[in-house]
Amino acid sequence: MSLIQCQGLNKKFAEKTVLHDLTFDLPNGQPIALVGPNGAGKTTLFSILCGYIRPTSGTVSIFGKAPGSAELFGRVSALPQDAQLDPRFSICRQLMLYAQLQGFNRRNAKIEAERVLSLMQLSDVLHQKPAELSHGMRKRVTIAQALIGSPELVLLDEPTAGLDPVNARNIRDLVSEHSDTTTFIISSHNLSELEELCDTVLHLNNGRLQQQVDLTGTQDTQNPLSYLTVQMDNCPADAFIRRVSDIPGVKAVETRQKNHFLISYYLINTSPLDQALLQCIKDSQWEYRQLIKGKTLEEQLFSNA
Amino acid sequence: MPTASTLSNNFFRSLWIIAQFELIRLFATRRGLLTLFTFAIVWYFMLTGLVMTAADFIQQNASGNMSSMMLNSVGFGQLLAWPIAEFSAYWRLSLYLFPIFSVLFAADQTASDRDRGSLRFLTMRCSRDSIFLGRFVGQMIIQSILIILTLLSTFIVAVYNNPEALMASIQCVLLISTNLLFVLLPFTAMMALLSAAVRSPRQAMILAVLIWTLVSATLTSISQHWPIFEFLTYLIPGVHLDNLTELQPSETLSLAYIPALQTLVLLVIGRFVMARSSV
Repeated sequence: MSLIQCQGLNKKFAEKTVLHDLTFDLPNGQPIALVGPNGAGKTTLFSILCGYIRPTSGTVSIFGKAPGSAELFGRVSALPQDAQLDPRFSICRQLMLYAQLQGFNRRNAKIEAERVLSLMQLSDVLHQKPAELSHGMRKRVTIAQALIGSPELVLLDEPTAGLDPVNARNIRDLVSEHSDTTTFIISSHNLSELEELCDTVLHLNNGRLQQQVDLTGTQDTQNPLSYLTVQMDNCPADAFIRRVSDIPGVKAVETRQKNHFLISYYLINTSPLDQALLQCIKDSQWEYRQLIKGKTLEEQLFSNA
Repeated sequence: MPTASTLSNNFFRSLWIIAQFELIRLFATRRGLLTLFTFAIVWYFMLTGLVMTAADFIQQNASGNMSSMMLNSVGFGQLLAWPIAEFSAYWRLSLYLFPIFSVLFAADQTASDRDRGSLRFLTMRCSRDSIFLGRFVGQMIIQSILIILTLLSTFIVAVYNNPEALMASIQCVLLISTNLLFVLLPFTAMMALLSAAVRSPRQAMILAVLIWTLVSATLTSISQHWPIFEFLTYLIPGVHLDNLTELQPSETLSLAYIPALQTLVLLVIGRFVMARSSV
C-alpha cells in the first residue's frame, strides 16, 4: 500500500492558489524530503496531509485513509510549524494527555512521556512548563510529542530550524535510528541534511510539483552519464579541469562554487572513475575535502545540467 | 483495522479524557486556582451582601398582604412562592448572574488552542467532535461543581436560620441545581460555538455580547412586526429566563425543554463550525 497518494490536489486561500494540481505517490519506507523555497506551499501541503485544513479540490489519502480520519489516530503524527504547547501545564502533563488520547493508560502515559523526552535528551524538563525552556528546547519537546506511541508516519515541518548544530545532529541521528520502523517526511531548507537522511525528494515551487527525485540512484539506469562531485582544498581550477578532463571516460568537468567541481563521465566501458580521480589528485599533489558519488541534492534540484 | 465499535469507544474515551483535562485546567493550574479564589470571594460577598439581606427582606415581608402586592407589582411576586427565603433570593440572583459567569468561564473552550497551535497536537490524536464535546462537557462539569458549592453554602445558611426546614431546603437545592444546569447549558454551548469560530476568548466574548444585544434586539423587533418569526427569538440563550421567574417552584422544570433544544441546536452548529474550521 502507498504511504501517501495525492491526486489533482489544489488549495486556494481567497483568490490566491497555493497548491496547483499536485499529483504524486509516495512509498512507505525511508525518509522523504519536501523541499522548496519560501512560499512554495510546503507547509500548506503538510497542513492538508495532517488534516488541519481541507484541500479546495483533489484527493489525498494516507495509508488509504483521508487525513484526519479516526483510523489514522496514533498511526500518523506531526511537528507542525510554529505550534506551541500550552504554557499553563507542565511538559509532563501535556505529553501524558497526548499519550492517553493515543490509548495509553495513566501510568504508561507517564512512562511514554519520559521515553520520548529521553529520546530528545530532555528528561530533566519533565516537570517544567514551556515558558521555562529555551526556544530550541521547546522545539525538541514538540518533536518529542510527535514520537509518542511510535507512529508509522511522522511529518516534521522544519525540525532543525532554530536548533544549535549539536541538537540538529541529534534530530538527524534520531530520524536515522527510527527510519526502519517509522517513515519520516521532513520539510527543510537544509539540503545537505535532507541529502543525508532521505531517499526520496519532493520539490515544490510556486505550489507546483517541480520534480520527484530518487536519491538512491537506482532509477536512472537509462542515462549513460554518471557523476562525481568533488570539493578540493585550494586547487587551481584551470589545472584541475584540464587534468581531470584527460582521464579516460570523462565527458566534462564543470566548476560550481569555489573549489567545487562536477565531473560527468561515461559509466559503460570505463574503469571506476573515483579511483582514477584520486590517483590524479595524488599525482598532482593536491588535497581534496569531499568526494560525493553522483550530484549533490542542490545540483539535482536547481541545476539544468 | 479498527472496527466501528472500537472507533466509537475511542470517541467517548477521548471525549472523557478531554473533559477531565478541563477540570485539571481549573483545579490544578495557578490561573485556574486564582479564578476559583476570585469566584469564591465574589460569591462570599454575594451570599452575605445580597442573598442573606434579600432573604431577611423577603422573610420580613412574607406575611403582609401589602408587601406581597408590592413585590408582585415590581415583578418579584414569585419570590414568596419559595418555601425558604434564602433560596428565593439565590434563585433570582443566580438566574441572571450565573449565565454571565458561564460566558466568562466557557469563553476559551478551543479559541486559545487554535491560536497557539496546540489544537493541532490534539487533532492528530482524536476527532474534532471529541475535542469540541469534551471541552463542552468539561465546562458543564465545572459549572455544576460551582453551582453545587454555592448552593451548599446557601443551604448551610438556610438550615442554620431555619433548622426545621431541612427537607424543604434539600428539595430547593435539588430543584434549583437541576434548573440552573438547564439554564447554563445553552450559554455554554453558545460559547463552545463562538470559541470554535475565533482565535481568542476575548473575540468569543465580544461576539457573545453582540448576540445578546444586537441580534437579540433585532430578532425581538422582527418578531414584533412579523409574529410568524417569533420562533427565531428562541435561538437566543436565556430567552426564557423572565418566564422562569414567574413560575411556581414546582413548575420551573416545565420550561427546561427550551434550553435543552437550544443546546442541541447550538452544539450541532458548533460541531459543524469546528469540523470546517482550520486548526
